[in-house]
Amino acid sequence: MLFFRSEERVRAWCAARNVTPRPLVTMPQLWKMSVTWYSTRLEGESRRPQPGEIRGIFASIGLDDPFWDPLSDTFG
Amino acid sequence: MSAEEDVRVKVAVYRHFADTARRPEIADIAARTGLDHGRIRAALASLRAQRLLLLEPDGETIRMAPPFSGVPTVHQVEVNGIAYSANCAWDALGVVASLQQAGRVRSECGQTGEPFEIAVGRDGPEPTSWLFHCLVPAAQWWSDLVFT
Repeated sequence: MLFFRSEERVRAWCAARNVTPRPLVTMPQLWKMSVTWYSTRLEGESRRPQPGEIRGIFASIGLDDPFWDPLSDTFG
Repeated sequence: MSAEEDVRVKVAVYRHFADTARRPEIADIAARTGLDHGRIRAALASLRAQRLLLLEPDGETIRMAPPFSGVPTVHQVEVNGIAYSANCAWDALGVVASLQQAGRVRSECGQTGEPFEIAVGRDGPEPTSWLFHCLVPAAQWWSDLVFT
């Protein structure tokens, strides 16, 4: 999970590793992800979003590609 | 082990990171919770199962308490004069979000190493064309969180 100066650089990074470029995320989108995951993390009752919630969270900020679907990410 | 002790240990771990920017040792957690070594270890294991912590193989050294990193990283965040290490680009903004104060993120371009610095207010980062890219699909993030 890295920052990149541009889409061109993402493509170069992926080409160098022979991997497929993934959906790009803008900084406003990343901030919304950060607030959703972490704004209450220091509080006792906070918890990590569950898979069913995660899909909705990503979709609400325009990230609806299957890449963002936690699928079988089951836990606790 | 109890859910109540899990919460006490979780809050102790996160408050220690927030206050010091360093991972807590067992003694630090004991000082904040009053729990003994065995109960703290059990709570850490439970928090790992809940995907709130990542532990080293010894079962008690904290590698990650997302968004905080227990080891130095390239993703540095300054808030209130304290320098934190974040686990990744997402967590760099996450440190600011978790502390609910303005901060400054310093990192780099994954491809070229060009320095990246951005001010992040309580309402979010200043405008920028820089992007975030994640290689690993969401369903596999915790399969190898350090790689992710």
